[in-house]
Amino acid sequence: MGTVIVVAAIAVVGLTILGMISGAKESQSSLSGWLVNRRNMGAWLVWFLLGTEIYTAFTFQGLAGYAYAKGGPVFYNVALNDVAYSLGFMILPLIWILGKKFRYVTQADFVAGRYQSRALGMFVALTTAIIMIAYIDLNITGLGAIFHVISKSRLSVMWSDIIGFVVLATAVYVGGIRGNAWQSVIKDVFMIAALGALFIVFPYREFHGFGPMFLAFGHDLGPIMTLPGKTAHSGLLWLVTTVLMTGMGQWMWPQWFGVAYTARNPRSLKIQAVFMPLYQLVKVAVIIVGFGALLVLGTHQNGNDVVVILARRLFATPFFAFFVIAAIFAALVPAGPIIMTSASLIAKNVWAEYRPQSDERIYRVTKLLVFPLTFLALFLALATPSLLVAILLVAYDFIAQLFPAVVIGGLFWRGATKYGAFWGMMTGWVLDAFLLLSGHGTLWGINAGFIALVLNTLVFAIISAATQASIKPGEANHFSTLYEMHEDPVHSV
Amino acid sequence: MRTAMRNWLIGVGLVTGLYLLGPVIYFNRVYPFILGMPAILFWYALVPVLTPIILGVVYLLDPVQHFKGDD
Repeated sequence: MGTVIVVAAIAVVGLTILGMISGAKESQSSLSGWLVNRRNMGAWLVWFLLGTEIYTAFTFQGLAGYAYAKGGPVFYNVALNDVAYSLGFMILPLIWILGKKFRYVTQADFVAGRYQSRALGMFVALTTAIIMIAYIDLNITGLGAIFHVISKSRLSVMWSDIIGFVVLATAVYVGGIRGNAWQSVIKDVFMIAALGALFIVFPYREFHGFGPMFLAFGHDLGPIMTLPGKTAHSGLLWLVTTVLMTGMGQWMWPQWFGVAYTARNPRSLKIQAVFMPLYQLVKVAVIIVGFGALLVLGTHQNGNDVVVILARRLFATPFFAFFVIAAIFAALVPAGPIIMTSASLIAKNVWAEYRPQSDERIYRVTKLLVFPLTFLALFLALATPSLLVAILLVAYDFIAQLFPAVVIGGLFWRGATKYGAFWGMMTGWVLDAFLLLSGHGTLWGINAGFIALVLNTLVFAIISAATQASIKPGEANHFSTLYEMHEDPVHSV
Repeated sequence: MRTAMRNWLIGVGLVTGLYLLGPVIYFNRVYPFILGMPAILFWYALVPVLTPIILGVVYLLDPVQHFKGDD
């Protein structure tokens, strides 16, 4: 195991240096400049970068862990992203058009512009930055699980998480907060090679092929593979409500919403929506491995650990070392842009909005925020050790509450007001917190986040209808830009 | 614009419907095996392949390929 640890350490240092090389120019150009300048990527580059940012430690470790620990409900996650891609097919191009016209670079800019309310923009920036900490927590927990396994459990989960935090915060702080294309390419190639090898080798080594493995699934797992599987409440109604809620939630993550602004044109965004679903096949492969783990490893392992345990069992040391590196990169590379987005929302859309600052200072504060934000995520990871999927589901319960304000009010309904948007979100979040803290992640078989989202939408609609008088003329700009372009040549770019 | 919106909503409905109504109506079961796979696994391996086809058709049918700002 010593070899694996040394090789992995070298790989992390290498990745960090790669980040430093491209990050060297960071101090000269401003953060917002960087965000805007990205508006020039073609479909394939967007596809690749999105793939990097969406398929993280959760895909690598969490999904198999979910299949292993809970069974059939894991399939919600295959449906989630594809429903989101079909929604994004139209939503992202519309967001792009508005972003280009009004020079938005973040989700908070978009909200502030639509509702002509700086306060609402600051509120959304701050709340989403906080919700994103759960996503950082997820990647720390993923890293921790890797260290836990390669130390052969000599490191406790707590210390593994702490090391995960140190590696993550240092790599992001030293290596630069931008993320870069080369890191993304390496991470994606490694991830697909490692998981692909596991998917092919696993059935042949443990079951003498796919056919015998599936027969063993039918015989020994049986209904565990269907819903509700090994859970008490995650049945078909849960599946439907969870997929609808998370599917609407996906593009509400500020780091992915921002991807709409990186494309060269709306067509690139539509093309990537067509091809992104192919990434889901990686998820299906990992789920199959997770089911197989139940037959091979028994039921006593921690779900987050099973993928790395299987790799250790199946591969000789050199390839296992490669596998570990791939797993570490899958957590580390996407975490950079996530932490950066969270930090820049606080620095740019809250702090600098409250009191104007120079770009240089905004950039410095963004970078300084890396440590406290990652530390909060560590605190969350230690306080509530969970399956990766549990973290993800709770995070989605909260982020999805933006959907009425951002998509319904932002793109389709002129009558929405800032009061409706604010009170809708508050209703959703308070209800989420109440249901989750009282232990009702599922209520009457329905996902709690979905219940919150329905009530949120009702409050959003009712309060908006009651406050029509408050609508300012500027609020119609979004809609005239999107829907009246042919009648109104003045608005043509 | 209106046709594009309608096609898109049909696409969203199809993708969501396949994923959700498939198991609700039939595929939340292990047997029969289809192409050697348990029924539910087969379904969740099939729909990710159908999704790009559905969205690809929506893309090709889209008459508004010249959004303002599209270059």
